[in-house]
Amino acid sequence: MQAVLRRLGVYLLAAWVALTVSFLLPRVVPGNPVAGAVARASQSGNCNSQCVVAIEEQLGYNVHTSIWDQYLQYVGNLAHGDLGHSWSENAPVSSLILQYLPWTLGLLVIATIIAFVAGTAIGILIAWRRGSWLDWILPGATFFQAIPYFFLALVVVLIFGQTGTMLKWFPSLFGYDIYAVTPGPNLPYIESVVSHAILPAATVILGSMAGFILTMRNNMMTTLDEDFVLVAAAKGLPARSVVWYAARNALLPVVANFTIAISLLVSGQILVEIVFNYPGIGFHLFDALGKLDYSLVQGIFVVITLVVLAANLLADVVYVLIDPRARQVA
Amino acid sequence: MTINSTALTAVSPGAGPSVEPVFHRARILRLPRSPQVLVGLVILAVFGVVAIIGRWIAPYSPNATDETHWVQHILVPGTGSDTGFPAQYYPLPLPPSAAHWLGTTVFAQDAWSQLLASTQATLFVGLLAAAIATVLSVLIGVSAGYLGGAADEGLSLVANVFLAIPGLPLLIVIADYVPAAGSSIVLVAAIIAVTTWAYTARTLRAQTLSLRNRDFVEAARVSGEGRSRIILVEVLPNLIPIVAASFLFTTLSAIGAYIVIAFLGLAGSPTSSPPGLWNWGEMLREGFANNAVRSGWWWWWAPPGAFIALLGTGLALLNFGIDEFINPRLRAAGLSRKAARKAGISRRPKFGMTPVVSDRPHPTPLRGASLPTGGQGEPVLEIRGLSVDYGYGDDAVHAVVDCDLTLRRGRVLGLAGESGSGKTTLALAALRLLRAPALITAGQVLFHSKPISEDGPVGTIDLLAADDDEFRAIRWSEIAVVLQSSLNALNPVITIGAQFDDLLRVHRPHLSATERWARSVELFDMVGINAERLRSYPHELSGGMRQRAMIAMAIALEPQVMILDEPTTALDVVTQREIIEELIGLGDRIGFATLFITHDLSLLVELADEIDVMYAGRLMERAPAAALFRAPRLPYTHGLLHCFPPLHGRRIAMEGIPGSPPDLRDLPTGCPFNPRCRWAMPKCRQELPRMAPLDGHAREVACWLHRDGATVPAELALPEPALAGEVGR
Repeated sequence: MQAVLRRLGVYLLAAWVALTVSFLLPRVVPGNPVAGAVARASQSGNCNSQCVVAIEEQLGYNVHTSIWDQYLQYVGNLAHGDLGHSWSENAPVSSLILQYLPWTLGLLVIATIIAFVAGTAIGILIAWRRGSWLDWILPGATFFQAIPYFFLALVVVLIFGQTGTMLKWFPSLFGYDIYAVTPGPNLPYIESVVSHAILPAATVILGSMAGFILTMRNNMMTTLDEDFVLVAAAKGLPARSVVWYAARNALLPVVANFTIAISLLVSGQILVEIVFNYPGIGFHLFDALGKLDYSLVQGIFVVITLVVLAANLLADVVYVLIDPRARQVA
Repeated sequence: MTINSTALTAVSPGAGPSVEPVFHRARILRLPRSPQVLVGLVILAVFGVVAIIGRWIAPYSPNATDETHWVQHILVPGTGSDTGFPAQYYPLPLPPSAAHWLGTTVFAQDAWSQLLASTQATLFVGLLAAAIATVLSVLIGVSAGYLGGAADEGLSLVANVFLAIPGLPLLIVIADYVPAAGSSIVLVAAIIAVTTWAYTARTLRAQTLSLRNRDFVEAARVSGEGRSRIILVEVLPNLIPIVAASFLFTTLSAIGAYIVIAFLGLAGSPTSSPPGLWNWGEMLREGFANNAVRSGWWWWWAPPGAFIALLGTGLALLNFGIDEFINPRLRAAGLSRKAARKAGISRRPKFGMTPVVSDRPHPTPLRGASLPTGGQGEPVLEIRGLSVDYGYGDDAVHAVVDCDLTLRRGRVLGLAGESGSGKTTLALAALRLLRAPALITAGQVLFHSKPISEDGPVGTIDLLAADDDEFRAIRWSEIAVVLQSSLNALNPVITIGAQFDDLLRVHRPHLSATERWARSVELFDMVGINAERLRSYPHELSGGMRQRAMIAMAIALEPQVMILDEPTTALDVVTQREIIEELIGLGDRIGFATLFITHDLSLLVELADEIDVMYAGRLMERAPAAALFRAPRLPYTHGLLHCFPPLHGRRIAMEGIPGSPPDLRDLPTGCPFNPRCRWAMPKCRQELPRMAPLDGHAREVACWLHRDGATVPAELALPEPALAGEVGR
């Protein structure tokens, strides 16, 4: 447990660094990029003078209190869940994010689970049956790991998407059919949501599974050389048990290094959302960048960071549960 | 214990002992010459050339608009007949032609020229960012690992914090606020570096930490070398393979990051002011924004995408090679396809069933031959002419050649030799436990079974001809193994009790869970460990206790044969003695035959009945223990006896054996021991001696000194001791 508390400390610190970076950037960067954004906000019909003042306060433009007071106020606001005001949507950033987040989390959690389970299983199999046709998966996986998500997404849209030119199997724009169904607990809406999630999820899975396959295969190859696996075979245990002996141990580094996987998955998810115009947090980050809506950009960055840190903490708890050696000593 | 103790997955998997590269002094990075690495290098070389000369071979400027081939396509809104302005048209992207090898974009620009310009900028930014990130991570990682203490705590914390913050969002936010980023290569590279250095830093810290405690670094410290000199001269060179692997990995991520922020429009467009650079991400962004994918203008968006994928694959392939260099275990991937076909075996041998490719026909069927009676001294395991190769064909290494051994009920057979002489290979081959690329190329392993407890096969079985199920039933229940390091032999993530339980569940299916537990408790009592320890994990027990637990597990099913592979080498002398006495006691009680493998002849003399000495994969001398000890006939045995002080008895001069153990890949002609033998004769360098009985005594030796009336040196002609067993137990 002490190990987990230690990690919790690291994550709290990381959260603080992220908050502070997003506070400082608009204030310290030379050339004052914020001025343009504020000007744009006040010119748009979306944002009245009150709204403009709120944005100025948030980004530290035209404000005459000391930077330290601004910082205290910023942290205080965050503590109350106040992430500022978005001029392009003319709504509190926090309520906008609450609206976007379920799309992202839903897609991300399902895709991660599938990619992790399938990738790990394939990695185990390749290492166990080394020399079989399964080895041909390796160069393929290497290739998929090497191409950026958004390019993969473009190709998936081209081949399978209804906005593409070839098979037109699945919808490839938006989170549901915005013209035909009304959001709510009705069957057509749910069907629409599911069918619209297929291609984005497939892209995230395809892009991230390769990493799990390669890592697990390498760990498994290393673990199969361990004496305790040899002893398992010498004990006359059935092949299934011998694989399990090795796989249980080969899984530990995968979980220990989940931080990196999570980071890649989230990045991938953001890009996939952009290509598919999927109404999650990543797409709106892109949208807000284009509109110079810095408050929204900031808010989304903070929330993504917190979600990622929470996922890391979860991985750490799981690690402690599956490795007795991590449980014991501090 | 911190959770983040692992580094590059290939470098140190958290399970078991870390697989650190065993470097001593600096070693030059020699990549395995696999086709993968070659393909990767070729891809990178081509990209390198394109990046360097691209600007000059580009037919057009990437921004130039080709108005001669302009095809009128879309009317620009607000122009044309009704508006009073002259009609203006957007150009139609042209498919590849002689004038434009990769066609044109929607701005009538040459796609091929853009691609060449983009390649240069993309690679340059990627390499620069990776260089900055690598310098940063070497500085931070190595200092943290080497300095330790508060500096380590602080620097590791910084790295861990950066690792936990998701990279791409941070990159986006920073790039977003730095509007000039796109126009300055250095700035954009620096921003990317800031978000990618942490992982490598953590890996390098872990490696430095382990290097710091190595002998050669310790020696440098003791000899008073300065801190910075030690880091530069002793530590850094050993980190080169990992730095190289990390550099490739970081280059790949940096290029990915650059493309992504360009695709998001954050790296400055070439037409903006100040202008950004042409790069693959920018080409894709323009294509995506202008519906190139949907409109079927593949020549515009596909080449930059293919370049990204190709470069990524090249880097990944090279990384593969470096991974294999760092962790050789990834390389031992079994036999090549050709070799397997030639050998007539499956390319994927079953784990724990070493393939047999004997070209000699099996002798007469053995099943149901004479029934073993189970009496003392009767053979229980006969190894005949066993040969083991690693690999197949011309480059095979002959690890064990034509070995005969006979284990007898209730007796202890000692197998001695230096490390690398093939002792363990011989024993594990008999059980078919060797892993790929090992092959059994000849021989027979006859198991004359007469179970001591409960049911089990009765009669003679050729283990090399047995099938999976037959073999699995014999394993552990009739033939058990204790390996050298008990920490590695026990599964670290489940309790010891559970490891007893799965054994009993498989071999004694009729026992209930409570009965299995009771049996485990009983076994722990027999080896003198508190039964509470069954609930412990292996790492919670001391080395001696773990080895006892292993022994308890080995006798759990009352086997007929016990193979002990250096069972006490890893323990301190007192524990060694206790455990050996315990083993002898158990052997007497249960009556199993023991094969005791060790490099310590003096230990064997005390407990073995007969000793076989092995050298370079061959058995070279066999004799009753006392005879071998008192009056060795083989120069090698003589040497072995004079490199360990005997535990009891007269003092002898320590001479050792000159030279080092032979390289099995490159054995001398004649007797393999001849280069190290002080009595070597011309014949020893020409002809291989075979084992032959020595004048009437119960011993055999493979040595020309004892043949054809050669003069036997006095050291090898000591009189045969009168009574066998006098020195023994």
